[in-house]
Amino acid sequence: MDHTPTAIADDAATLSGRSVGSVSASIRDRADPRLVLADRVEQLYSQMWLGILMTFAIGAIASFELWEQRLKELVLLWWFIVLFITASSAGLVIAYRRAPDRATQPEQWLRWLGIAALANGANWGFAGAVFFPSHADEQQVFLAFLLAGMMSAGIPVYAASWPVFAVYGLGIVVPFTYVLANFGNRLFTELALLVPMFYSINVAIAYRLSDVFHSGYRLRRAYGRLTEDYSVLNQRLERQLVELEEARRQVEASGRKLALFAERAPIAVLELDPKGQVTQVNHAAELLFGYASGELLGASSKRLVRPEFHAEFDEKWAQMIASREPVAAIKIRNPRRDGQDLVCEWAVTPLVNPEGTVISVIAQGQDVTQQLEAERMKKEFTSTLSHELRTPLTSIIGSLQLINSGVMGEVDKDIAELTGVAERNGQRLLDLINDILDIEKIESGKLNTVSEVFAVEELVREAMLLNKAFGERFKVRFEAHGDLGGSHVLADRKRLLQVMTNLLSNAAKFSPEGAAVDIAMSTDGWAIRVAVQDRGPGIPEAFRSRIFGRFAQADSTASRAKGGTGLGLAICKRLIEFMQGHIGFDDREGGGTSFWFELPRHEPQIRSR
Amino acid sequence: MPATPLNRICYVEDDEDIQRIVRMTLERVGKMTVEVVGDPTMAIEAMTAFRPDLVMLDWMMPKMDGPTLFRQMKLRPETSSLPVVFITAKASQHDLEELLRLGAAGAISKPFSPKDLPDQLRAIWAKLP
Repeated sequence: MDHTPTAIADDAATLSGRSVGSVSASIRDRADPRLVLADRVEQLYSQMWLGILMTFAIGAIASFELWEQRLKELVLLWWFIVLFITASSAGLVIAYRRAPDRATQPEQWLRWLGIAALANGANWGFAGAVFFPSHADEQQVFLAFLLAGMMSAGIPVYAASWPVFAVYGLGIVVPFTYVLANFGNRLFTELALLVPMFYSINVAIAYRLSDVFHSGYRLRRAYGRLTEDYSVLNQRLERQLVELEEARRQVEASGRKLALFAERAPIAVLELDPKGQVTQVNHAAELLFGYASGELLGASSKRLVRPEFHAEFDEKWAQMIASREPVAAIKIRNPRRDGQDLVCEWAVTPLVNPEGTVISVIAQGQDVTQQLEAERMKKEFTSTLSHELRTPLTSIIGSLQLINSGVMGEVDKDIAELTGVAERNGQRLLDLINDILDIEKIESGKLNTVSEVFAVEELVREAMLLNKAFGERFKVRFEAHGDLGGSHVLADRKRLLQVMTNLLSNAAKFSPEGAAVDIAMSTDGWAIRVAVQDRGPGIPEAFRSRIFGRFAQADSTASRAKGGTGLGLAICKRLIEFMQGHIGFDDREGGGTSFWFELPRHEPQIRSR
Repeated sequence: MPATPLNRICYVEDDEDIQRIVRMTLERVGKMTVEVVGDPTMAIEAMTAFRPDLVMLDWMMPKMDGPTLFRQMKLRPETSSLPVVFITAKASQHDLEELLRLGAAGAISKPFSPKDLPDQLRAIWAKLP
């Protein structure tokens, strides 16, 4: 929405200011002068037909009257001029009616009208000049009456513009007055003095009338403008009203939505006043704490806090109200109505008005009792796994090792074979438990690592030595290639050794008898890379994507034949990533697979610090 | 390194099977003299009588855990100077560091390999002043 309430108020203020104060003073100024002039010209042209008709009729009567007594050629000439003028005027009116520019070019049309009026006036003046100076007769009275009538008839016809009337009147008066003055008769000389005076009075009246017309048209235009303005303003107000109504409905709808969220939310929602008294409770809160909303409304929120924590609660509450900052993820022990304790995780948000005072506090709580219990049980299970399972395994493997090592004396070959099987499988079970514990520790973020700076190549060779016996079991030898130029890394030595052991034993298990496993070491500016390369069957296509997943083994029969838990590579990946490195595998040219890892090099200058 | 070779071992452990295996290992593989104590509350008495070169303590025992017994040993003049090695399945790095700081001679994690146990103990023995 682009109309803010303030903008509307501004418009209203402007509007009322105008209507109350200065409207009448400024109304006439609001009229466009060109439009007013166009109106007046329109008025003049609309009266022209009457003028033309009267000129024609009076001209005809005058010609008829003068035909017998005056020179016939002159009367005929005059009559032709009357016809010519009336015809031209009619043509002018028709042209005006058809002109598309009559509203935009009023001055132009007024000029033509002025010329037509002058011509008309001059024709009557001409009549006075040529027909009057004969011997005195009653026709002189007729002419004087005619001219006076024509002059005064011009006032209403041309009143919309006094200069037009003035020109018209001048056309009549000047020749007639000249003739009267030069007649040589005292009476006529006196008349010659009176005629211009009458003319002046007529012009003055025309001027006044014209002024009245002018004001009238200006007012009409101005009110037209005002009406237009009002209707535009009205439309705008109407539009704003619609928008406001729409906004109100939106606000109402989101308010309802919010209320619905709070009401139906599976988490407890309480609204509290700044003193900590409950002002609103949702259904989930009633269910969770076992109170009806009526029991909580108006009560202190401390009803939901164990009494021994009230002091601490008060302190935290005061802190939150003072800082006006929301508090998230705080766990509080909340007693239910039946006395049983719940542990809830709360998000507490103070609502602050623009003046910065807390108006209310929204508390959203979630029962995490079971979640905490589940976490505790998981921890207990892990602890059981590590201790209760490992202790008997210690006895089993220990006993079998003692027998198999021969310190207890020679045993029958068949029995030795069986105790060998038992020891290997006991060891496998132990490996599985250790791997599961490792994965659990890594994934719960509880893996304790000890970072130290050490030379990687030494560690690689140590791993080869430690796993030499394992390799020999599969008739596989380990061969190192390349060197790391004494590069150091910052990592957990024991865990990296675990990774190396895993990769070497995997390679040994999957290599054909008598083959070599190549350990290729290389380095670039930033990282060291160790690749353990075997000549085994390679990784099946379908298995590639989940090779680093948990319990991942390409062929489940392989785990029985070769041992292994299917967790080794998953652990390797997590450990290497824990040490900011990468792990991956490639097909090896000529068959087999290359498993590699990269770790960032530890720069000597950083080390020396 | 102590002048005499490691010979007399006192092992406090509640699990009878492990007692048996450790006793056999140390006696047969390590050719040592072993006194096994099943009840940690009787351990100090037994140590005073047996006068071992080195004491092995299990970490988790029902009546009294290894660390508690270790602290009690430190309070008694007869046992306060005995080198102690912990056998543990679940001690965290933090716990171990704490015990080494209190004066434990070393720690061996469970499950241990019986075959290698005598050598592990001798390695710890060799590092003692």
